[in-house]
Amino acid sequence: MTLLHPLGLLGLLAIPVLVLIYIIKSKYTEQVISSTYLWTLSERFLKRKNPVSRLTGIISLILQILAVIFISIALAHPVFTLPGKANDYCFILDGSGSMNVVQSGKTRFESGKDYISGVISSAADGSTFTLITTGNTTDVVLRQTDDKKAALRGLAGTEAAFVSSDFTQAIAVAQNFFDENPACKFYLVTDKNYEIIENAELINVAESVSNYAVSDVNYAFGANGGAVVTGKAFSYGGDASITVRLFVDDGAAAVDSVSLELVRYEGKEFKLECERDDFASLRVEIAQDDDLPLDNKVVMYNARSDAQYKSLIISETPFFLNSALASMGNLQREIVSPDKYNEDMKGYGLYVFENCTPEKMPQDGAVWFINPDKGVDGAGFSRRDTEALSGTVELELNSSTASRVRNLLKGTVKGDATSVKEYVKCGLYRSFITLMSCNGDSVVFAGSNAYGNREVVFAFDMHKSDFALSYNGRVLMHNLIDYTFPVLVDGENAYCGDAISVNVLANCTGIRVETPSGKSEYLDTSDAVSEYELTEVGEYVITATVGNNRQSAKVYSQLPVAERITSVTEASFIISGVPSTQKRDGRYEDLLYAFIILAVIVVADWMVYCYEQYQLR
Amino acid sequence: MVKTVIDEELLQQIELLQTLIKNNVAGMFGGNHKSKTYGSSCEFADYREYTPGDDITKIDWNAYARFEKLYTKLFLDERQMHTRIYIDASNSMGYGKGKKDEQALKIAAAFAYLSVCEMDKVSVYTVRDKQLEAVISGMLGKEAYINAIGALNSVEFSGDSYISDAIVPSTVGYGDGMSIIISDFLTDNNYEAAIDHLAGKKRHVLCVQVLSREELNPKARGKMHFFDSEDTGRYYRKNITREIAQAYKKAVEYATGRIREYCAARGADYLLVCAEDPVSKLFFENLTSEGVIK
Repeated sequence: MTLLHPLGLLGLLAIPVLVLIYIIKSKYTEQVISSTYLWTLSERFLKRKNPVSRLTGIISLILQILAVIFISIALAHPVFTLPGKANDYCFILDGSGSMNVVQSGKTRFESGKDYISGVISSAADGSTFTLITTGNTTDVVLRQTDDKKAALRGLAGTEAAFVSSDFTQAIAVAQNFFDENPACKFYLVTDKNYEIIENAELINVAESVSNYAVSDVNYAFGANGGAVVTGKAFSYGGDASITVRLFVDDGAAAVDSVSLELVRYEGKEFKLECERDDFASLRVEIAQDDDLPLDNKVVMYNARSDAQYKSLIISETPFFLNSALASMGNLQREIVSPDKYNEDMKGYGLYVFENCTPEKMPQDGAVWFINPDKGVDGAGFSRRDTEALSGTVELELNSSTASRVRNLLKGTVKGDATSVKEYVKCGLYRSFITLMSCNGDSVVFAGSNAYGNREVVFAFDMHKSDFALSYNGRVLMHNLIDYTFPVLVDGENAYCGDAISVNVLANCTGIRVETPSGKSEYLDTSDAVSEYELTEVGEYVITATVGNNRQSAKVYSQLPVAERITSVTEASFIISGVPSTQKRDGRYEDLLYAFIILAVIVVADWMVYCYEQYQLR
Repeated sequence: MVKTVIDEELLQQIELLQTLIKNNVAGMFGGNHKSKTYGSSCEFADYREYTPGDDITKIDWNAYARFEKLYTKLFLDERQMHTRIYIDASNSMGYGKGKKDEQALKIAAAFAYLSVCEMDKVSVYTVRDKQLEAVISGMLGKEAYINAIGALNSVEFSGDSYISDAIVPSTVGYGDGMSIIISDFLTDNNYEAAIDHLAGKKRHVLCVQVLSREELNPKARGKMHFFDSEDTGRYYRKNITREIAQAYKKAVEYATGRIREYCAARGADYLLVCAEDPVSKLFFENLTSEGVIK
């Protein structure tokens, strides 16, 4: 036994004080009376002597001494060693998405926490607890702590993630603990079964549940202008009849629905139609409730539905250019002649200089140069001479398979060549992507300028080319508009655990991501693309601040397909080594009993006091 | 000091009372007490037929006219009694907050006056240790009372008292009046022989037990060490609890009951008097209801 606070025993000094008080208090009051005859006679009429009343005074003293002893001991806080009564516990808690399945009123994750909590609470004092959780990351939440309350607090703070868990790292951490202490007891708390499990006790918190899911949901615009939604539906609990419904723009009424007969684990394709093409979002949802609602819904967003872009065309002869850009959809255009253009004209997403060049580069938007007449600081290229060609020469499409080139040239056809009569030789000193070239010179190239804005250069005169009339010219123009005004987020089907690419728009000063749970995070805008990992199921709202404007995009993060299967059998969970049976010394430091005994003593003393007072009335 | 013993207003009231003496078989002629024998007082008692030798002045001629027989009128005899008052003058009577000594003296003075008013002789004695000391001896008449009663003020209460040892050897008379013992009787039995002796002498015995209120209903609680005023070698050391207090009350009941029963068995009267109560209460309530006086 050890004492945490030995100075508490100083309280025992109160005992002699008590005895002294008792002696002083016990003094008899002397008094001469006329006769002691009647008092002596009264002895004859006393009932049988009550031993308690005879000892009343001394009992009170004994009780008070005992109280002082117990208080002193409690202050000293004794800790008793219990040899071989404690254990080292290591819990590996599965925090994958499937642990969010609700069964018997609580999630599997909560059931697992309850089990661990029970083990911690019932463990002998002196035991140590280690908690490893898997989820978005593998975390060691508790590391060999012997503080039960702290362990329970740490456990209470854990939450299940929505991603697939990788146990590799958890096993590695557990293996380290095992190597250090082979007597450690390992518990794997999960909803999966394992064919082989070594040196760990499997606590499977899974129960039989029903789970439906929609997967691989996509949409495409049909020939009649509406949207066609396709996807697959699954049932993981057993065979089931479900109805899949389609909603538009958060509408309460479904615009289309389909009933499906599902066979367990077999996906069944479905197709739903929407007449509108100007929707902001499409929501596909299973009508029936199940135990894992996270995978019953998918939302898709029309990224360009509400995007409006302003452009300024600076040209004396804008006819061809204006016609070409007019066919590019939601691009607002203003035209100004070069002599009226000045640096104060700001607030445009795109500045197009045709056959002219500004004295100073616009800094608040993308810039297109068409047949630049001179170089300009920050443009990233220098203008040399105009190369006059003998007749017309076909421009060569870049044949590189690099993704950046392939994306910009997608949809172009090899046989549909663009011809020019002359072009401007440019010297490139920034990293541009050459899309078309002539005689080895870059004629159409794209990149970013010194101000971080996207820039496209057409180094030829539109009027001396069939570019605006050719198929490839229209496709390339469309691609370059997309390149100039990139959407915030690429891709449609996003799953929890995936990293999405967020395009950093020109002049973007900040990008905020609002998660489904309401948390806000800010992305790095120093690069053209910022990666963001989805960790929750639901709607993410990404908002980019560009100048005074804000542009938003939404991404619906789905539960990973692997986590939708609510009953899984994995191959193995193996912690290698020979376990030891050696136990840790436990300890007993609970003062509850001391306080109970103290309370009993105080109550007893109080009763004795009351008895005394009653007797002296 | 006289004023502490004599309450004039009380004495005026007492004049109206009369003692009812039992066993008045003897006594001097000329008193105020009716005797069981026929005598020569003015109070008519009965008739009997005339026999030669009777005083012819006592013949009732009216009865002769009616019955033609001679009848002699008989009259009650009246005797003078001798009241003897014994005051316990031990320390226990005079110690403490109680006024037992003063109360005893007042009672003695009142009884003495009552007797004087009835033309009886009065003697007052104190009992100290085993000695009987006459404070007033053969006092007769109110004038003598006025002159002698002041002697009670000089009575000192000290030492122990053995009532029987003091009274039994003394001259107590025979059938000639009342013997009043005023004491706290806080003793086992040293009064019994005295009562027996006085009753045997055909005396009308009255025991007046004077106890203070504190003795009747003590308030002392807690750890007490009581010393006896008559003998410091006697003490009582106890934590006075409710239980002991109740036992004490039973002891008081026992002690007073014992002496009461003892007196009753011998034709003696007994009265318990609280030292703090007025003497008038004793005379006009207690003694009257007990039939000692009327």
